[in-house]
Amino acid sequence: MTEMLKVTVDRRPPLAVIYTEGYINNQGGEEIARVAYDLIDGDHTTLLLNLKGTKIVNSIGISILIEIIEKMLEIDGRLAFCNLTPTIEKTFHIMGLAQYAQIFADEEVALGELTV
Amino acid sequence: MNKAAASLETRLSWQDVLDAASRREGERSFLLRLVLYICQQHGLQAAALYSKTEGGFDRLVSAGSEAFPTSLGEDEDLEYDSLLLPDGLLLYKAGENGRKEVEGPLILALSSALRATVLRGRLKQQSFAINYRGVELEALYDVGLAIASMLNLGQLGEEILLRAVSLLDARRGALYLRSGDRFLLDHTFGGDARGELPFDDPQIEALLEERLPTDQDLLPGARHLMGLPIGTDGRPQGLLIVADKESRHGVGPFPNADSRTLSLFANQAAIALETAYLHQQALEKERLERELDLAADIQRRLLPTVFPRMDGFEVTGWSRSARHVGGDYYDFLRVRDDRVAAVLADVSGKGLPAALMVSTVHSALRLLIDQADVGPELVRRLNHHIAESSAPNKFITLLVAELDPSHAEMRYVNAGHNPALLIGPSAEVKELESGGLPLGLFDNSSYRAGRVDVGVGDLVCIYSDGITESASRRDEEFGVERLVDLLRISRDEPLSKIVSAVDSAVIDFENGLDQVDDQTLVLLRRTA
Repeated sequence: MTEMLKVTVDRRPPLAVIYTEGYINNQGGEEIARVAYDLIDGDHTTLLLNLKGTKIVNSIGISILIEIIEKMLEIDGRLAFCNLTPTIEKTFHIMGLAQYAQIFADEEVALGELTV
Repeated sequence: MNKAAASLETRLSWQDVLDAASRREGERSFLLRLVLYICQQHGLQAAALYSKTEGGFDRLVSAGSEAFPTSLGEDEDLEYDSLLLPDGLLLYKAGENGRKEVEGPLILALSSALRATVLRGRLKQQSFAINYRGVELEALYDVGLAIASMLNLGQLGEEILLRAVSLLDARRGALYLRSGDRFLLDHTFGGDARGELPFDDPQIEALLEERLPTDQDLLPGARHLMGLPIGTDGRPQGLLIVADKESRHGVGPFPNADSRTLSLFANQAAIALETAYLHQQALEKERLERELDLAADIQRRLLPTVFPRMDGFEVTGWSRSARHVGGDYYDFLRVRDDRVAAVLADVSGKGLPAALMVSTVHSALRLLIDQADVGPELVRRLNHHIAESSAPNKFITLLVAELDPSHAEMRYVNAGHNPALLIGPSAEVKELESGGLPLGLFDNSSYRAGRVDVGVGDLVCIYSDGITESASRRDEEFGVERLVDLLRISRDEPLSKIVSAVDSAVIDFENGLDQVDDQTLVLLRRTA
């Protein structure tokens, strides 16, 4: 059971895929935000968060993800998610994240849509 | 211009500020331009705008190269000039020719913009809280559906813990499940936890009463713990502990509302655990039954399927176990000179342990009967083998008789078994008494042989006590007398009919009660 979030990035400008592994809580969310803002500063305007390695997210983590979505909207960018567990996907829908960030079943489908 | 700190080098017009307000760059971008514009208009070197929070101020934007703190305490000494606003604070550093005091319509505009931002922030927080309440309710509902349908105990434990940690914004957690008189650690999240907790561990009581010291060793390193027993009908099946409530500023204790949420969650989890336990037990029972069916099949193969044909005697046998497998055993073994050994053994106890002993007797007897005549020496060797290989509290009664077609005399050894019955031509009964102790009690037991004349038409019945001790609804025993009466009446019938008559009589006597002990019958009749 992985607890501390690990984040890795695959840069494909102007798109970048952020892979997470572990708990998206306060610490995990801050780490994602740090990586996301660095990518934004590096002119990546489309971010795909692949949550394949994440089984758990809490409200603090969600609030940070919302801030990242807002930041992406400010720069006319796009944020999308893929590989969500059913529980996390349901949570994102209830919390309204799905209104502003697309959710895809897996990375292949997401890249097909986001790179068009 | 999307960073919270921005340079003052670029000159802004009022129109630039208004443009920021009308675009979708975000309110922080508009606030930043407004602060920059104020800096330029008032000759400030740098300025930072803070919003009011509980107990202090958080920085929203800053202009210029000054490193303003990201947050301020309410009564903090400030090393900058400041202007208190209804919803926040403006810190600034005046330029060489700048004004010490900032005021006027721009400050009014800034104050209004800050108020709008703060109000919008509050609305967002309230909206977030309402939405998250929906997540909590959904999670509680989901627990009832998703984890109740999860029948794998290992997966279920992890799911329960993950959902509890997530639902309560905990940083750590642990789930213990009951095992006898203690809780054993099932899953942990976010760090180590003690491996097991006795029910009477004082830390459990302290945890449930929320008076656990911070140096507790349940979850070493965790500072704020909240726990609840998981159970139905007051029977604790487990213990769910979450630790260190998260916020944007770190971790703290759990508020009272979280205790209620955890309680609701624990109720759902208890039902799910109960369901999974029952499912596991059902699977285990199914597996055991499959194994018992297999054992019963193996045991059936130990019993003769064909009865030996021999001059001068006819023989038959019958056995019905009280459970899948039994502790009764009978056999007919050919020995030298066309003789046949008839044997009936009854292992103390029932079920699988007794069946294993039956298997031991079967193997040993078949090996030994080639080495010794049917008599005391054979039974002595058999006893030695059984005494060595069986548990101290296990014993076997056994009667073995040798049928010799050339003699009217039958030799037998009775090792603690019920006396066999010989029904003579005038229906008189002779009992073939004991010739030694049951097998397995003492390694050095000795045995003596008995001899009895068997005339033409005489019927010998060797039986297990499962027949004579079968009970009626009035708690009466079937008894030897009823058996003898039946044998007398049916003495001249075919042996298979006598077996059926005994079987039917016992079943009628039990009148629907469960069979308590294994029932076995061996019949021998001299025909010539």
